[in-house]
Amino acid sequence: MGKLVSLWYLLAAVVLTLVWFVVSQLVDLPIIPSPVLVVENLADIFMKYIAIHSLYSLWRIGAGLLLAVAVGLPLGVIMGYFPQTDRFLAPVVYLTYPIPKIALLPILMLLFGVGELSKVFMIFLIIVFQVVVAVRDGIRAIPNETYYPLYSLGASFKDIFFEVLWPASLPKFITAIRVALATAISVLFFTETFGTQYGMGYFIMDAWLRVNYLEMYSGIVVLSLLGLILFTTIDLIERNACHWQYK
Amino acid sequence: MISIENLSVNYKSDSDVYTAISGINLTIPEGGTLAVIGPSGCGKSTLLKAIAGLIPEYEGTIKINGDEVNPKKQTIGFMPQNYGLLPWRTVIDNIRLGMKIKRAPELLDRKVLKKLMRQLGIEGLGHRYPTELSGGQQQRVALARVFALQPDVLLMDEPFSALDAITREEMQDIFLKLWQKNNVSTIFVTHYVEEALYLGQRIAILSASSGNINRIVDNPLFGGKDIRQNPEFFEMSLKLKNSIKKDWNQAWEN
Repeated sequence: MGKLVSLWYLLAAVVLTLVWFVVSQLVDLPIIPSPVLVVENLADIFMKYIAIHSLYSLWRIGAGLLLAVAVGLPLGVIMGYFPQTDRFLAPVVYLTYPIPKIALLPILMLLFGVGELSKVFMIFLIIVFQVVVAVRDGIRAIPNETYYPLYSLGASFKDIFFEVLWPASLPKFITAIRVALATAISVLFFTETFGTQYGMGYFIMDAWLRVNYLEMYSGIVVLSLLGLILFTTIDLIERNACHWQYK
Repeated sequence: MISIENLSVNYKSDSDVYTAISGINLTIPEGGTLAVIGPSGCGKSTLLKAIAGLIPEYEGTIKINGDEVNPKKQTIGFMPQNYGLLPWRTVIDNIRLGMKIKRAPELLDRKVLKKLMRQLGIEGLGHRYPTELSGGQQQRVALARVFALQPDVLLMDEPFSALDAITREEMQDIFLKLWQKNNVSTIFVTHYVEEALYLGQRIAILSASSGNINRIVDNPLFGGKDIRQNPEFFEMSLKLKNSIKKDWNQAWEN
């Protein structure tokens, strides 16, 4: 990313902090502490308390994401490339896609327990549908003319996959992950409020129950930074993997 | 040498069978060119796709150099209407793509590729992406891609139709030069009578409705110098146009 882009990120952070500062001065209640105090507190406790929680949250997101890609990508490719399979699978996807995944939480908890597995699976469920639909639509949008010269040379499915299907669906696939990730993080927060002693959700809710607002705010700031890191990583991956789009 | 005997292609939908082409007989001698001309919907593209091995189910025979058409065995260069370049590959990777798929590293001679790109006037564009190129440049890349393969047969679907008139004539000249050097048997589909006359040794006129060949015309002007300026060229294209119009009008009336 260019210097200019980083500068805009910095500016956004400054503006948001300023707004926060002004509000904290106006309200003047412990529930909205000044950002200065929060940053001080964060510097004190990050390595001691918060780092381990953020790592737990990151691992859950990472595992859910990987699982969603491992299942969603092949399924999307099959549905997009073979219209016959789409005819059978599309109704299944469309019937299950609109269900708010959080509504399935009781079922997941009964099946997989209240520990790691149900949390990871929840994130998987949120991301996988977006990936399937995006990859399928990306592949469907490829004009037939793109395939003809390859078919006429006797291209195998492997050739078609690596030369056409994968690069054509990659940008759509990355966008899908970007969109789904925001939802995944908020649901993760919710699932981390029970059945675990680790994770940013646990940390923030625990600080709140202990009426330690400085720690609570530190947790929120870390959660926001976590999101920022995830999104910029995705942007960087996209720039490197889909460079033809930036010409 | 390409020989087509009694070729018919039917498309089946859930409830209907639709005949795209029927009873086509054609031969193209080694290193010859054939123009196929016909109204839209007459099965031109179907014919081309069948020869390219893209249609698995057909009746009759299509033989390339004596063997039944098979994309795995023969090298078939197919240039679709919108060039079929991959937007995510650079120009040079697009040109190399065919050899990669054919597993033919012996063709990957850098000097030969460079020479081909120079002949086509795209030697400086190797690292660009297709979207950064003009239509004419994309066309040149598509030509480089098929000629680099030294194919047994070259098939082109409305090859120069997306270009403006002046660029089109330029590309036709470039194509002819390359074709003369490489001597590739070529079949191309067009709806421009002038293009058929300029590039086709023989011209097959498809009929408007029945999906077969109305007639095949030998083109005495082919290969002559500056034939576009020749009054005979105008005369012949006018004659051809009028006779085609008559055929097609009759078909519409029936």
